[in-house]
Amino acid sequence: MRTNFTAAQLADPAIAEADQILQTCVHYGFCTNACPTYVLTRDENDSPRGRIDLIRGMLEAGGTPPAKTVHHLDRCLSCLSCMTTCAVKVDYVHLIDRARTYIEQHYRRPVADRAMRALLAFVLPRPRLFQAAMQAGRLAQPFAPALPKRLRAMLSMIPAQASPDILAPDTYPAEGARKKRVALLAGCAQQALNGNINAATIRLLQRHGCDVVIANGSGCCGSLPLHMGREHEAKGFAQANVDAWSRDAAEHGLDAIVVNASGCGTTMKDYGHLLHTDKAKSVGALTCDITELLNHIGLMTPPNPRGYRVAYHDPCSMQHGQKVIDEPRALLRAAGFQVVDVPERHFCCGSAGTYNLLQPEMAEALGQRKAAHIESTAPDIVATGNIGCMTQLGRYLGKPVVHTVELLDWATGGPLPPALEGVPLPEPSVVQTQAAQPAADAGFW
Amino acid sequence: MSANFDAFFNEIQAKLGPDAVNRSDETLTRYGENTMPGGDRRPAGVVYPASTAEVQTIVRAANAHKVPLYPVSTGNNIGLGSRSASTAGQVIVDLGRKMNRILEINDRLAYCVVEPGVTYQAITDELMRRGGQLMLDVTSGPPQGGPLGNALDKGAGYTPYFDHFGFACGMEVVLGNGEVLRTGDGSIDSEHLVNWHTSKYSFGPILDGLFTQSNYGIVTRMGFWLMPRPPAVQSFHFTFPDDDDLEEVIELCRPLKMSNFVPTLFRVANDLYLTASEGQSKEYGSGKSLSDAGRRALREHFGLGAWNVSGAFYGPNEAAMAPMIQRVRDHFMKSGKARYIDHEQAESIPTLQVAINAFSGTPSLGELGLLKWRPGGGNIWFTPGTPMDGKIANEFQHLCRKIYDDHGFDYTVMNVCGARFARGLHVITFNREDAGESKRADACYRAMAKAFADRGVFVGRAPLDYHDMHFAQTMPGFQQACTAIKQALDPNGVIAPGRYGIA
Repeated sequence: MRTNFTAAQLADPAIAEADQILQTCVHYGFCTNACPTYVLTRDENDSPRGRIDLIRGMLEAGGTPPAKTVHHLDRCLSCLSCMTTCAVKVDYVHLIDRARTYIEQHYRRPVADRAMRALLAFVLPRPRLFQAAMQAGRLAQPFAPALPKRLRAMLSMIPAQASPDILAPDTYPAEGARKKRVALLAGCAQQALNGNINAATIRLLQRHGCDVVIANGSGCCGSLPLHMGREHEAKGFAQANVDAWSRDAAEHGLDAIVVNASGCGTTMKDYGHLLHTDKAKSVGALTCDITELLNHIGLMTPPNPRGYRVAYHDPCSMQHGQKVIDEPRALLRAAGFQVVDVPERHFCCGSAGTYNLLQPEMAEALGQRKAAHIESTAPDIVATGNIGCMTQLGRYLGKPVVHTVELLDWATGGPLPPALEGVPLPEPSVVQTQAAQPAADAGFW
Repeated sequence: MSANFDAFFNEIQAKLGPDAVNRSDETLTRYGENTMPGGDRRPAGVVYPASTAEVQTIVRAANAHKVPLYPVSTGNNIGLGSRSASTAGQVIVDLGRKMNRILEINDRLAYCVVEPGVTYQAITDELMRRGGQLMLDVTSGPPQGGPLGNALDKGAGYTPYFDHFGFACGMEVVLGNGEVLRTGDGSIDSEHLVNWHTSKYSFGPILDGLFTQSNYGIVTRMGFWLMPRPPAVQSFHFTFPDDDDLEEVIELCRPLKMSNFVPTLFRVANDLYLTASEGQSKEYGSGKSLSDAGRRALREHFGLGAWNVSGAFYGPNEAAMAPMIQRVRDHFMKSGKARYIDHEQAESIPTLQVAINAFSGTPSLGELGLLKWRPGGGNIWFTPGTPMDGKIANEFQHLCRKIYDDHGFDYTVMNVCGARFARGLHVITFNREDAGESKRADACYRAMAKAFADRGVFVGRAPLDYHDMHFAQTMPGFQQACTAIKQALDPNGVIAPGRYGIA
């Protein structure tokens, strides 16, 4: 695509980068049918290439972005399905982040909108505050009908039950001989919503010979503010993490920085791009999803495998952002579960960080669509690898969704995932530890 | 009488609802875009029917208001016209938005029935959800492409069910006059259709073929036969070092297909067809074709040859196929020039993984990368065929390679080989933002089309820019027959006038 930036505009490295990205888009349109919002609305401005055009227009013109542009860019999930399908590999993730930052800096949203965004950006990355906010929100729920629509939608998304467990800096020693020393991103919102994910992760890693460190000074990865265009705040969180883990790595050595919230993992692997420092690049290179590390170590033989039928939902940040697709499936199979793919797995569930809070209608349409696909597979258990998806799917499925690590922990000696307590499960099928061979019993074959 | 677009769109909105019509500027711009040298073709509007009855409403309104329609299904049709209409100012009938239901899957008789918007990915997902007992032959194009549009354009895949039109059975069509036609055994005047999607040849003429590469109707439903999914797929691959090895490759492939010992088609791809997907040309800008040294470097980097052969066996497990793999290996290795790449190695080579996916009925994206070989987003496909005679195939290679070279393009081709015939998928990638290069791409295509027609060889699927030119290459009797059928089934010429040259 041709662009028309002035030399003065191109002197800004951020614009220069955007220009390079914009020029790679040639409007083939493979992205359109892979984009959830385009498929729902069939509005070209709700497609990736449409948004790329809007971004080009916005950045070239400079000044205040048109409200229409902001509307359509706000509706982007940043699911990155478009990047998976793009034939020319347009670097959309960095372009949309640049656009969001530009909007944040140059566009004055309505007061209520600004207040809500500021509130989310301040509260969500701080788990204790988020925990308190959820408690306050629950108290406010009876008065929801009297509240503005957006606030009402937000209150309705507070899960009825949360099991917070906010971890302090600590080291959890490996069981038996130590194979690796790894840092765990304890995270922010996840700790306030579901403390068992970290607990299961730590048990699982200890059981597989890892010392697990919650490094002093590490916290929110910065992803939530970054995707709201608050790049400066995101960089602050990212820098704090880079400092904390670099310090720890220098003092004790780190084999990996493990993430169990895949949205965070995508951002952390890209710290080098966000901060442009060698330390940030090193932290990015050390970062891996928990399933990548476990797959590398090899899952221990499950002492008590249970052949439940598990529908595995791919978080977009894993399948599109990090291309971690086979590892969780392989681990769940190795743990004895039957893994079933969900139709239309390339589509987002509508969670997308703060998206379901800021764009509740689109998020609901996607949540219901995904829930119907999951239900169609008749699973015993639904699993995924990101707290946002867990919350969103739980809401539209009306039943608990567990994290992959909770099932792996359970299969290798840990407790039943709390979300499954009291949930009637059928008698599990005969355990199958090999990758499923389709149609082994079909007709002639 | 001239077209009354406002009256047409008003009628459609009144009858089908306000969201059945889209005339926004962005939509019209994007639906007019394509990758061909001839430029974009902005439509007059886009309409979205939700059912066969709504398609009938649209076609009848088009007849009443003399409005030309151009139906599209799903996918991208890249290099062949994208979603552009035959000419600017036609109304796109986008069947993909709402008519995207899988209407039936018959597990016992192994067929599915779909609407135009159903994608390869959607069918594959549904078959896997049902236990993965069956598979659909797919293209190596995008997963969001669909079987109905592909079959109607005579597209193909690579498994024993490769012939997408041949393995389709039973259509529902809204003709240009607004009437509905059921083909095959669906033509019986009954509410209870037993063999619509299991038999095509019972009584009367076989009408299905009329709706391929034509403009006589809008197909709204189609059945496709499904193949039992084999528990194991074992691919094999051979590389050959020299361009002229194509002659021997074709000779080696033919008996294996003639006997059907190898159940898949052979993918015989040249170096650039495989390596172009992994990056952009380092010599772009020279105005010339990629140098021999450049090609050699790519081959060495990717461990591939001037020609690369892929095929596969199906079986209950790996061990059962080992003797067959050995026979094929012995057969190819006797040439003394072949290098063998086994299934496991090929799985780690992305460009060969594309072949494995295609043989396995798995939609995948890998091959699309070759579209970025040059910047600027231009590409057109030239699809002549060659008999499976090594000497002739090699002559055609020389002919095409020279024309590519004469025009400064990079010879990029895959021959998809059956027993008697191979379709040559030639892609011309060019910088569409460079007017001079676009002009050269156009000249290159036309030169090849003429050279092949002069030798009595026709193309298959063709880019929209060249439909008139190719139609003019047909014999007068063919042209008269096509025109007469058009007049009979679409007397006002409202459906895709100009598509495949039929006015």
